[in-house]
Amino acid sequence: MENISHLAGRQWLSSQMDCSIKEGLTKTRAIKHGHCLRCGARVYAKLPNGKKYCRACIGLGRIVADDFLIRNEQTIKFPAKENGGLTWKGKLTNSQTRIARNLIRNYIAKKDSLVHAVTGAGKTEMLFPLVAYSLKNGERCCIATPRIDVVSELYPRFKAAFGEIKIGKYHGREYQEPEADQLTLCTTHQLLKYFHAFDLLIIDESDSFPYVNNSMLHFAAQNAIKLTGKRVFLTATPTGDLLSSVKAGKIHLLKLKRRFHGQPLPVPREKLFLRPFLRDQKINSRLTAEIIKVIQAGHPLLLFVPRINQIGPYIAALKKIPELAEIKIAGVHANDAERIAKVDQFRSGQIQLLVTTTILERGVTFNHVWVIVVQADDKIYTSSSLVQIAGRVGRAKNDPEGLVLFCYQKYTSCIRTAMKQIRGMNQ
Amino acid sequence: MTKCLLCGRYYTAKLSFTSLFSISKCQEGGICPNCLSKFDPVPAQHCPICYGKAENNELCLDCRNWRQLYGNDLLSNQSLYLYNAAFHDLMVNYKRYGDYYLSYVLQTLCSNQLNKIKADLYIPIPTSSEHIAKRQFDTISAIYDNLVPLTHMLSKISGFGAQGEKNRLERLASKQTFFVKENFKVDRKSYRVLLLDDIYTTGRTLYHARDALKKVLPNAKISSFTLCR
Repeated sequence: MENISHLAGRQWLSSQMDCSIKEGLTKTRAIKHGHCLRCGARVYAKLPNGKKYCRACIGLGRIVADDFLIRNEQTIKFPAKENGGLTWKGKLTNSQTRIARNLIRNYIAKKDSLVHAVTGAGKTEMLFPLVAYSLKNGERCCIATPRIDVVSELYPRFKAAFGEIKIGKYHGREYQEPEADQLTLCTTHQLLKYFHAFDLLIIDESDSFPYVNNSMLHFAAQNAIKLTGKRVFLTATPTGDLLSSVKAGKIHLLKLKRRFHGQPLPVPREKLFLRPFLRDQKINSRLTAEIIKVIQAGHPLLLFVPRINQIGPYIAALKKIPELAEIKIAGVHANDAERIAKVDQFRSGQIQLLVTTTILERGVTFNHVWVIVVQADDKIYTSSSLVQIAGRVGRAKNDPEGLVLFCYQKYTSCIRTAMKQIRGMNQ
Repeated sequence: MTKCLLCGRYYTAKLSFTSLFSISKCQEGGICPNCLSKFDPVPAQHCPICYGKAENNELCLDCRNWRQLYGNDLLSNQSLYLYNAAFHDLMVNYKRYGDYYLSYVLQTLCSNQLNKIKADLYIPIPTSSEHIAKRQFDTISAIYDNLVPLTHMLSKISGFGAQGEKNRLERLASKQTFFVKENFKVDRKSYRVLLLDDIYTTGRTLYHARDALKKVLPNAKISSFTLCR
């Protein structure tokens, strides 16, 4: 018999690789009662021959009505390692230690946890003790996040912290041969490939796109853990569905209100504008004054605009302002080929003013940066994005304060909720 | 509210006076204005023969090459969109992953323009039988079947690989794999024939199809229509 232990905990389609006769594999109809068993979506689309197929998870290979899902429910017992393979020598602050201990306690008590920690609290480090505890017992762990950028950022940190563990890293932009790794880092989409695989699943940035409000990915996150498996959700802005699970007693809430340096979050300033922000290729004079103030204070500035096609006009208008003639201005968005280079230049100080869309709202740290959000009332900014944007400021130990400015023409409930959350965490 | 077939978001479809009172089939192929704006129509400046990239009404590079082979008997082609990233994604989902529902989107994209072209025979470019078996539908016929009456005159010898998997030189060097099915009867002296395909890349496929047809219909006036150039 061919060895299939490298596929432990995974599921695939009978049309992709048929080895249904082997031991340890189960075979189920991929579509049952009008729903896809891989992604949980309702199946409505039909081929011309009348067979139904699932459109939602078609990127992983099309599931048609008479296909089977092959599932490998083998459990691998990993060798027990001293200290769970954790080689990290850093130290947690008191409040981080409290959260880390509670996470382990909940895990032992077979409870799911939700960590609501402010931006810049050092969430990743708080996870190390829990992950180490689980690995020490020879269990299997996964850290999943909606964004590829975050996977790429977490991987080197976990690799450095768990020097003795081989970590599997999977996301849609690079092909990796599947292996049965004891510790897996992946995007939430990759979870669709797993079935009853993990004892511990940690979902980082659980409030961000595409995981938030996506029933397919929520289904995958449920399916990927063993029946006895437990989950931990990490977020700076918990969503309604998680909070209601907390209320129902299904998830245990852990709150961390202080950043690792112990200082409160900078509270955003709000400013009402009556005239348009940009008219006749000129920026509103009150907004211009605010921008000049930031630059003259010597701080790099992130200027958030709602849409990609606004970046060009804003840069053109900014370059006409005489006070800003000496600084370097650039714009960055999701489809920008030079995105990574520009962000690096901004980080190193070569660019002083960066006009950006919401792609830089989370997961990035710039020293001493101040932030202005133009059109904070635009519907693209949810309360969670606004909290994240405000969280870019004051992350360094030696500079915990700074300006966050929400410019609006119409006060929205998202701005109100964001302000309330930030003030609430500061209390 | 209609659900966009591409991005899955709900949007309000534009209502016109006529669409209110007609029972139109293309309702299903709804795409939202945002997704629609990602497709680039072929610009007004294009090659007069094949709608390719060209300036000042000159022939494009592809047509100049074909002129060396076919003289002045070039295949006149009409295309609607440029092959950009959005179209690439759409075709990958449609053809590689086999998302049959996207044929409704493709119908919506071309129905207005296609209805303006009158022909006696609408002939789709055939797909090899192994591809049809794998996808469980014929990609070209699925697009055009609801729009015009198709005549499935052409057939393809299987086992020669897909054009989409070759590079430019390999595509141009590919051999004739089309033939006319035997059961077709010629009952008129001349036909206006419109060949239908999804993408015009080098033109190799469509010229092969025309060569095959000309053996049976020497007097036919053959032109072609593709979604993309």
